[in-house]
Amino acid sequence: MAEATTATDSAVRPSPAQDERLAHRGPVQQLLTRPEIGALIGAVGVWLLFWLVSAPFGTAGGTANYLDVAATLGLMAVPVALLMIGGEFDLSSGSMTGATAVIVVLLSSDTATLGGAGLSLHLAVPLSLAFALAIGWFNGTLVEKTSLPSFIGTLPTFFIRIGAKLGFTKLFTNKVIAEGLDRSGGYEFWDNIFGASWVRNGHVWDNRDWAWSGLLIIGAVVLILGTMELAYARREHPNAVGYLVSAAGAALGAIGFILLLNQDSTASNWIFGILMGAGVLVATGGWCAARYQPAERGAAAAERDPRVVQLLFAGIGAIVGAIVIAAVMNPENSDRLDFLTGTPGRAVLAIGIGTTGVLAVLAALGRVSVGYPAIGAVVALIPGISYMVTVQGARAILFGILGIAGVVLLSLAARRRGLAALFTLLTSAGIVILAFFIQSEAGSRKLRVELFTALLLIALVLAASAITRLIAARRTSAPPPPAPSALPRQIGLGLGLVAGLLSLILELADGDGILYSIIMAAVKGGLVVFAVCALATLYRTLFTSDESVGRSLIFIGIGSVMLGIAAKLMFITGDELANTRAETRFGVGVMLFLAFAVLGAWLLARTQFGNWIFAVGGNKDASRSVGVPAARTKTTLFMLVSASAWITGMVIAFRLNSVQANVGDGNEFRYIIVAVVGGCLLTGGYGSAIGAAIGAVIWGMITSGIGFATWNSDWRFLVLGALLLVAVLVNNYVRSQAEKVR
Amino acid sequence: MAELLELHNISKFYGNIIALTGVTTTVNPGEVTCVLGDNGAGKSTFIKILAGVHQHDEGRLVMEGEEVRFNSPREALSRGIATVYQDLAMVPLMSVWRNFFLGSEPKTGIWPFRQIDIERAKRIAKEEMAKMGIDIRDVEQPVGTLSGGERQSVAIARASYFGARVLILDEPTSALGVKQSGVVLRRIVEARDQGLAVIFITHNPNHAYPVGDRFVILNRGQSMGNWAKEELSQADLTQLMAGGAELEALQHELAQAGA
Repeated sequence: MAEATTATDSAVRPSPAQDERLAHRGPVQQLLTRPEIGALIGAVGVWLLFWLVSAPFGTAGGTANYLDVAATLGLMAVPVALLMIGGEFDLSSGSMTGATAVIVVLLSSDTATLGGAGLSLHLAVPLSLAFALAIGWFNGTLVEKTSLPSFIGTLPTFFIRIGAKLGFTKLFTNKVIAEGLDRSGGYEFWDNIFGASWVRNGHVWDNRDWAWSGLLIIGAVVLILGTMELAYARREHPNAVGYLVSAAGAALGAIGFILLLNQDSTASNWIFGILMGAGVLVATGGWCAARYQPAERGAAAAERDPRVVQLLFAGIGAIVGAIVIAAVMNPENSDRLDFLTGTPGRAVLAIGIGTTGVLAVLAALGRVSVGYPAIGAVVALIPGISYMVTVQGARAILFGILGIAGVVLLSLAARRRGLAALFTLLTSAGIVILAFFIQSEAGSRKLRVELFTALLLIALVLAASAITRLIAARRTSAPPPPAPSALPRQIGLGLGLVAGLLSLILELADGDGILYSIIMAAVKGGLVVFAVCALATLYRTLFTSDESVGRSLIFIGIGSVMLGIAAKLMFITGDELANTRAETRFGVGVMLFLAFAVLGAWLLARTQFGNWIFAVGGNKDASRSVGVPAARTKTTLFMLVSASAWITGMVIAFRLNSVQANVGDGNEFRYIIVAVVGGCLLTGGYGSAIGAAIGAVIWGMITSGIGFATWNSDWRFLVLGALLLVAVLVNNYVRSQAEKVR
Repeated sequence: MAELLELHNISKFYGNIIALTGVTTTVNPGEVTCVLGDNGAGKSTFIKILAGVHQHDEGRLVMEGEEVRFNSPREALSRGIATVYQDLAMVPLMSVWRNFFLGSEPKTGIWPFRQIDIERAKRIAKEEMAKMGIDIRDVEQPVGTLSGGERQSVAIARASYFGARVLILDEPTSALGVKQSGVVLRRIVEARDQGLAVIFITHNPNHAYPVGDRFVILNRGQSMGNWAKEELSQADLTQLMAGGAELEALQHELAQAGA
């Protein structure tokens, strides 16, 4: 997941040298060539319209409302867009969402089905996935084998399923609704996944926020300095202008800080908080500009050393393992580990003693080395030792081993880049970790353990770096190779991974549901990746003569605005308007929808499969003749749509615990419309996953915005139609402008 | 001595229709073998047999002394036979570098996150095109915006980069203007000089004669013969190509009409 977010980091890549025959294209014109830009403009317009006419529309509650509508649509619209780019349609995609839901409810309910005994959901849910995948495979194979247009090819499964859903539902329940999901076996587990939601309460800036935002800012500053140290060379003569900029930034930050201390309202707190953060960042940037210059690039790329990355990841993995262990530590637990009294423990003991005996005989005969029976003996000893050690003790030992291993590995990785970088990097990692700890659970009992862990980590870092220095002193090695320019990205990814995993543990500990926790963790990890990449790029673009300045800046700008919106959604809720602490719910569907959009965009733009999707949609015969497995690509796309329909179906089923027989029927056209609004060509070969997601959001904003605006809902479809028309026209106009640019 | 590719009496039937019969020729590295023929002469069938789209019914196809039969385009490709089709096997809406690497994208990263190595792909595409003497303006531009000659050049550069030893060009000049045709003919010569065996399919003897080392002429599915360049002049070629006697009759007819 963390990797998926790198779809946004294309700003980091330097563009190939420009050809002098190309007329200069401004960054705005370059952006206009993106397929989804029309939808984006349309979305902003629709949002502004409803924001002007309706007060609650712009709040977190309103956002949750229209995002929910958008999610059920967008979860399908994204894969349907991929299928359309691949040149096919799936008319059965809408009824498929309902079908998977109906199947699960009918199979598991305690009504007349299967003689009154419903299947456990542990069986029923995977069965419905298998059904969905089988239908997807069938659709794909049918369309491929018969070469029928997919409008015709998928029509049979469309009608068959609509009929079957209604027929079976009535047959088993005598109603047109299948219900009773919450009485099925295994309900809690699956509801935890598909029925989870994220509750956001109104939030006013408090000490806790001071703590985590302050730490994040410090962490970011140190991180930038560390990255500079790794990826850039020191200037021989510091640049005075950089110092001036740095001083100005520091002044700005100080002003922000003073204003923040004297303000009380939530909104102004945010504004001055951002002012303070920006000031600090400018100060850091100026400092960097004064002291660093780009390392030589050609040499850097040639000297890329894969082992450093491996060491980095191994080290991060070990540290994450240590943190996992720390997170499950409980000071009040004094149980013994005790493998001896349980059957598994005795089995281990028996096997250990048995193999030790056999190996000892073999060793005596000279067939194996003496080491083997020794290993057997150790295995046999584990249950015995376990009786003497407490659970906490065992965890502490493991924590220590993993922590030291991780830090040593990280240090080795850093050593290959020069020791100066080591401290800044690792210290900053520790600080960021500390920030996340405090942010998520200040004041709770868990905090003590976490603080303890974090402090221990910092201590370990210091210890390990001392060890590394000792090793380095003893072994005289070649000077470290110059750092590749891709390093900021690697560091960003690594730290994003750490942050993501950390927050995963914390979310899980809060009991927020597995899937939700994973998604939130990915979001946080992704934010860190973005921040690091953006900052590194910002530096490079601001202070070097890189040719991709404009484009990079725009990408960073978009990213920052999106972060700003995310921050606003998280922290400013309806209470500002109504003066009450309204509770806002974001369902798991919304999270999945956003994840799908990012994943889809990455898949399309960055992977081989994405390339093949464009190719089979653009010119199937051509792609086949150069070795693209066209049939497999298309079948996979059909199965992807079916699998997404399954996810959508599950979200629908677990939302209400019952399913109308006709749910989802007819939605297939909405998916297609939304994809087209998002810039996909009906003829295939061109389009965007992000665009389809934006299209879904437009649809959601219009349908729920009409309600917020208290317009007469009788006119709903008329307004919907008119607004869609405008959106499509804007989209079309922008695309024609874009093609002119080409 | 084993030739790179030998064709002995290759024939192909579609039911009771004789599409191609008795084609014999040899193809060698650093040589251009021209296959000439009018519409319906069997040129397409000839290409499809070599490219693995169809299989021959009679005769022998010998590659480096070993009798072969290509059951799929992939098989032919893996033996180093690359075909540049008339429709160019390109996706017009995709960019130059994406087309260049389509089907064989260079990848980077660990499995679930494996992605295309975009920087490398762009760089190689630009370099390879430069090697062929084509200075592409921007590898990000869609292939649909390139001129016909440029598109041929991309296809030829792609084939040679992916290790083609035999390059089959299907009517590369037919849709092009005079100047563009010249560009493509120059590419053919460059590919030949790089040591590729080129099979150049055309109906234009004026394009074939300057670049060809060996000529096969097809007429209504029949092979009219297989000549080395020394064995015939350009006039002979034109004559044979138009079916000899038929052309004389036509000239006579036209002369009468003029009078």
